[in-house]
Amino acid sequence: MTEEFEPKIIAFLCKWCSSAGSDLAGVSRMEYPPNVVPIQVMCSGSISPLYIFSAFNRGADGVLVSGCHPGDCHYIKGNLYARRRLALVKKLLEHLGLEPQRFRMSWVSAAEGQKYTQVIKDLVRDLKPLGPQTKLRRNV
Amino acid sequence: MDKILPKKDFPLWLKNLSAYALYAPRLVDEAWSYEFVTDPARVSLDYPLTVVPAKKIIFPQRESYFEFSQDDANGYRLAETLPEENPVVIFGVRPCEGRALTLTDKVFGGEFEDLYYWKRRRAVTLVGLACGTPPSPNCFCLSVDGSPHSREGLDILLTDLGDKYYVEAFTSKGEDLLAKGGAVFAVPLPEDKKAADKIQADSENKLARRLENIKDVPLKLKGMFDSSFWDEESLSCIRCGICTYLCPTCHCFDINDEVESATPLRGRRVRTWDTCQFPDFTMHSSGHNPRPEKSSRLRQRINHKFQYFQEVWQNWQCTGCGRCITLCPVGIDIVKVVEKVRDHAS
Amino acid sequence: MVKLEDLKEEARRLLKEGKVKYIIAYERNPLDGRAVPAFLRKPEDADRIAWDPTCVHNLVRFLVDEKRRKAKEKNPDTRPVGVVVKGCDSRALVILLQEKFIERKDVHILGLSCEKTGVADERKLAKRLKGKKAVRVEFGPEDNFTVTTQDGAVTVPAAEVLAGRCLECIANFPVVSDLLLGEKTKRTVANAFASVEPLESLPPEEKWKFWQEQFRKCIRCYACRSVCPMCYCDECVADTINFAVTADTPAEEKAQKIKWVEKSPLDSENIFYHLVRAIHLAGRCIDCGECERACPVNIPLRQLNKKMEKEAKVLFGYEVGFDPDKPALISCFRDEDPQDFIR
Repeated sequence: MTEEFEPKIIAFLCKWCSSAGSDLAGVSRMEYPPNVVPIQVMCSGSISPLYIFSAFNRGADGVLVSGCHPGDCHYIKGNLYARRRLALVKKLLEHLGLEPQRFRMSWVSAAEGQKYTQVIKDLVRDLKPLGPQTKLRRNV
Repeated sequence: MDKILPKKDFPLWLKNLSAYALYAPRLVDEAWSYEFVTDPARVSLDYPLTVVPAKKIIFPQRESYFEFSQDDANGYRLAETLPEENPVVIFGVRPCEGRALTLTDKVFGGEFEDLYYWKRRRAVTLVGLACGTPPSPNCFCLSVDGSPHSREGLDILLTDLGDKYYVEAFTSKGEDLLAKGGAVFAVPLPEDKKAADKIQADSENKLARRLENIKDVPLKLKGMFDSSFWDEESLSCIRCGICTYLCPTCHCFDINDEVESATPLRGRRVRTWDTCQFPDFTMHSSGHNPRPEKSSRLRQRINHKFQYFQEVWQNWQCTGCGRCITLCPVGIDIVKVVEKVRDHAS
Repeated sequence: MVKLEDLKEEARRLLKEGKVKYIIAYERNPLDGRAVPAFLRKPEDADRIAWDPTCVHNLVRFLVDEKRRKAKEKNPDTRPVGVVVKGCDSRALVILLQEKFIERKDVHILGLSCEKTGVADERKLAKRLKGKKAVRVEFGPEDNFTVTTQDGAVTVPAAEVLAGRCLECIANFPVVSDLLLGEKTKRTVANAFASVEPLESLPPEEKWKFWQEQFRKCIRCYACRSVCPMCYCDECVADTINFAVTADTPAEEKAQKIKWVEKSPLDSENIFYHLVRAIHLAGRCIDCGECERACPVNIPLRQLNKKMEKEAKVLFGYEVGFDPDKPALISCFRDEDPQDFIR
């Protein structure tokens, strides 16, 4: 039997909400797939589109950006800038022909450990049928 | 060795050349390009000038030098990645491009041979196509010691006689290629030879552009190094790489390490085309840039082609294909610039 | 109809009275009849000015050079620079003003209305002429171009040879200017984003196939970047040395420079470069179409930029390059910005 494809996911998590949410999931011993490489950033608004392109370029099968709910941003409105900017990134990637499932954004607060596990579970579930991401991956 | 090849039999010849990788001009999105031949029946040499010259096959934009790696088991390892000498034929090469290769041969040859270049260069056979009519309105090969039917650098020269080609092979590589065609070639009649000679002679009168009396240009350029002439001439330059990347004689490159993985270390060292027109071309690691302005970069392009190359190799480093003129987004015209240099009061 | 003589007269006056440092305009290359950028310093230079459908260049690009040059001068000439702009070019100028890259007082804008036509696409024109060479292209009569070849003049309906950008133009006369020549007539554009729709409607795999073939052609000459007035970054992720390195930059800083993209023209790296360019131009590109025109291998770059322009309009109700006092697309937001893609 062939081994099931396990997607590699890069998750950019804001320090104040989503990263804390992922910690909560961890200390609460909630189970979720181990496919994620979390990268803590100060704010979802600090995510340059470059990071996302680069993650795909270096072999990510999926990229997640997660920040605070609107109104909860530690920097007042960083997540709202992110929302606008990353909507454009998503549209651009889809215009190129990247599968829409590969790039996702979520709002996860520090209290939402449960939601975080669900976001990851859903993402892994959606990426598995797609197989490895080869389109933007560096081909040497 | 002279032969006649009916145009309808051209694909037959190509089909006999299965031992070679064949390249020929093809129209890709309205731009002519030398492309790998997948279907000999569709090859036609009825084309003007490609955008990217044939140098892209012999001096590819990216060439891997070696691969490197480090791990606990094997320590550091280097593995040279020399290209294999697989035989290649490029069809429809214009005489200016054939001549251009003789110039890059000088640069990559001599005392220290660049093996990466020569592996590909030795493996290539160039089937040229004489320019009965100028393939570009900006051709000026005659002015830089070339001609629309020059044989330099080529192995075979085809002359279009309407429904057939007059085929001249003048190297052993070229003769090998004809031998593989066998019966598709006919013996030329005296009038075929006459017709080919006439087309070739007439072609010399058809060029629209001339760049005359440039004998003293190298000396002139030497004296104009600090002239404000370059500031004025380069005003409209936008510092892109079109003129140099598309030049059949430009050969500058950059070397970079492409690291795929840091631990365990894995990657390769590659060379890629580079151009004197990019601001970072001469950037030193100290931050100093000896050519900070676009004026100095335009000067470098002209000086290299019309002074330095002449001093070192006694040749113009320009074969008059006119690509840099036709494709410059702002209409900078090398012929006009050199004419102005020639007529400059200094 | 723009009276060329009026433009020349104004340019002559500005130069004579010393009101401007110099004027960036178009002149005709006598060899092929195509317009090229011209830099006029003396009143008599104004005689060289040309205005015809081959005036494709976005001359605002040269204001970037001007700013750089000026920054290096010890005692710079503070007079404004005159620049000839079409509708699209003027919107590029609005972006530079919006981003405070240039100041309004530093530029004297000579605006020309394209009225109901625009500029010609050289490739379309060549096709239309079936191999004959145009030695001169002129506006008129009415919404036509008069094309002169060695066989004489013919009238070609402008719509047949107009550049793609002009067919989707939403500002055929300058939105900012000190002098505006020609009429503020509006050509009706049924759908300003018609050109991206065929690609949008394809399934992902076919879109990908299309782009893969396009980007494979890229030779990374960076003409698209170089010709763009908005690509004025001091450091570009695409350059090997993209740090603003000076003699004082410590070695550690240089060593820590991130190499986002390789110089090699591999599919992935070409795509990376074009993705970065597209996203960096989102909300800034005003569709002057110069990148697509300059591309020697005919990559349809407007497909990327136009898509971003469309999304800015559809998702955020944002129109690019009309108001210099408005914040940039991605430095503002609305509470009602769509978030249906967010979990």
